[in-house]
Amino acid sequence: MGRQISYAKAILEATDQAMALSSDVFVLGQLADTKSGIFGTTTGLVDKYGPDRVMDFPVSENLMTATAMGAALTGLRPVIAHQRLDFMLYSLDAIANWLALWRFKSNGQSAMPVTIRTIVGKGWGQGPQHSKSLHAWFAHLPGLRVAIPATAYDAKGLLLESIFSESPAIFVEGRGLYSMTDDVPEEPYRVRFGQAVVRRLGKDVTLVAIGNMVPIALKAAATLEKEGIDAEVVDPRTLTPLDRKTICDSAFKTGRLVVADPAWHSFGAAGEIITTVVENLGDKLKSKPVRVTLPDSHTPMSMALEPEFYADETDVIAAVRQTLA
Amino acid sequence: MRNFTNGGKSIINHIPLMELSHRTISKSPPYSALSLEGLPEETAIALFRQMLRLRRTEEALLAEYHPAEEMRCPIHFCIGQEAIPAALSQLVLPDDYVFSHHRSHGYYFAKGAPLRELFAEIYGKETGANGGRAGSQDISHSQSHFYSGAILAGAVSIAVGAAFGFRYRKTRQIAVSGFGEGATDEGAFWEAMNYTGKQKLPILFVIENNRYATFSDQLKRQDSDNISERVRTFGVRTSKIFGNDVALAYRTLKEEVARLRVGDGPSLVEAYTYRWNSHVGPEDDGANNYRTAEEMGFWKANCPIILMQEKLTRAGLLNPSRRAAMESEIAAEIAANFKFAKKSPFPKATDWRKMNFEDASPEADRLLGTSASGVFDQNQAEAKLGPY
Repeated sequence: MGRQISYAKAILEATDQAMALSSDVFVLGQLADTKSGIFGTTTGLVDKYGPDRVMDFPVSENLMTATAMGAALTGLRPVIAHQRLDFMLYSLDAIANWLALWRFKSNGQSAMPVTIRTIVGKGWGQGPQHSKSLHAWFAHLPGLRVAIPATAYDAKGLLLESIFSESPAIFVEGRGLYSMTDDVPEEPYRVRFGQAVVRRLGKDVTLVAIGNMVPIALKAAATLEKEGIDAEVVDPRTLTPLDRKTICDSAFKTGRLVVADPAWHSFGAAGEIITTVVENLGDKLKSKPVRVTLPDSHTPMSMALEPEFYADETDVIAAVRQTLA
Repeated sequence: MRNFTNGGKSIINHIPLMELSHRTISKSPPYSALSLEGLPEETAIALFRQMLRLRRTEEALLAEYHPAEEMRCPIHFCIGQEAIPAALSQLVLPDDYVFSHHRSHGYYFAKGAPLRELFAEIYGKETGANGGRAGSQDISHSQSHFYSGAILAGAVSIAVGAAFGFRYRKTRQIAVSGFGEGATDEGAFWEAMNYTGKQKLPILFVIENNRYATFSDQLKRQDSDNISERVRTFGVRTSKIFGNDVALAYRTLKEEVARLRVGDGPSLVEAYTYRWNSHVGPEDDGANNYRTAEEMGFWKANCPIILMQEKLTRAGLLNPSRRAAMESEIAAEIAANFKFAKKSPFPKATDWRKMNFEDASPEADRLLGTSASGVFDQNQAEAKLGPY
């Protein structure tokens, strides 16, 4: 086993290394230059790189995004960070009307390599305005790449890839994953967009898990193994582009599909993934695909309701059993 | 707020500067304060020629719009609003960035972007500035550092980012953001004022205040019609001018541009002007009864081109034969641009994904390698968040 660091530390390390590699990289974010540093992901960067490269920003999310975009037009590689995805929604004009279509409407002559980090809260009463998981909204827009890393290794590699590639990237971080450690190489490295990873090989059922559903799906798979059910766990890692081939290859092999998406049930990534598989090999599936998602409801605050709202290992196990029934 | 005077007179017919607004301007006598003071002859002529070229281009596009039915995109014509773009054309440098609203043609001219690519773009042709992807209201020409867009204050915000980039790189470049008073209804505009006023970025905001957001009077939408006074409280230097006086616009913007280049920014200039045509397209939108014949009459009588032409003529800098030569050069250029646009090929649908995403990543290729991953241990609890 190599060096273990947390998801939060991996994000900090990727940012630090990107700033060391290129003076074009800078960070904007509310409280980015403070000791708490956006839950530890920017802590210390201001001391190392100075206040011109690590900057607090007014609570003006739309302008923060647009500032990054304009700066990118001058050749810089901005990283902006939102403490919660919910605040980022003030910047939907900048993202949906400008950033996503900038390359398209310039006919490929102009690029905005902007990286937008956004954190999805979960638990401790985050409630309906601190926990929305809207990765599917951004994946729906042409022109944006969307990463949703589940592990510290992927967080580091995908963040570096986001910063140094040319198309804008939305980088969705699960706050619940922040403490989880993984084997993370010290050197800077890339994880390519559009390359899913098979986290566990299996032959009975394909379990596609997104973001913070990945550890939950892996735990479910370990439990199911004791019952003699062999689940293959696929982590897409990025939604745009989506590695449809790896997902379909796995579903072809097992003939059964469960998709675990930490987002609302309707019109989401789970529906897109199931549709892809059905379109490609619908008549080869042995059972109907099943979605494990959140209810079509806003997030409750109460500690009594949170566990009811969020999908857990039991829900994943039940879904797998349904495909085998 | 500074008062720009001409020989001791108020800039427009005795209206005190603080009271300068659309309400007062259109009720005042004809404008008589245009002065060539501070303008070298070649600059004065260039300002006139830019305005004339822009006017004739817009007139030609208007005239051809429906007969040919080949320009199938919304065009927001800028006839009557030529002075500000003409003044900018003599002040911005090739490395400066200009961001425009949907009434974009004047700013496209100001940045010296090629006209034939504008025509071809409007015709939806592959040879257009954006290969027919953008059209008039979204056109850009990145080699000229010219960008535009139709969602008003969004472009103002992106211009702030360009100014941020110039300061980050410690260059002397400036960003120019041109927009109408309608954009100042949007919150994004005030976010930009707050941030640039605090950060002192090298950006010039130019409001072409033409009074109406489509058909809606500014005073239906805002409590006051003086944006510059409100902006001043954000730490942004402001001026307001009669926006049909191209010489005044030039002197005002020249001073502001010079100050921005030495780090003395940001600056906002509110120029009162007027569009003669409908909000969009060649059709008359007068049935909406949103403006009066008297108001239109004032502005047409105070046409920026006529005001300058009269002054240049009296000063002996322009005569009928020099003007006729200009007209024929411009007419020839316009005819050639139409010909180019019409004979150019249409774009072909090729790869929709490649039109939206860049696959090449030379910088990542140069800086990043790959590194093997381990096996993730799922037996870890989720982070316990706490109140923050």
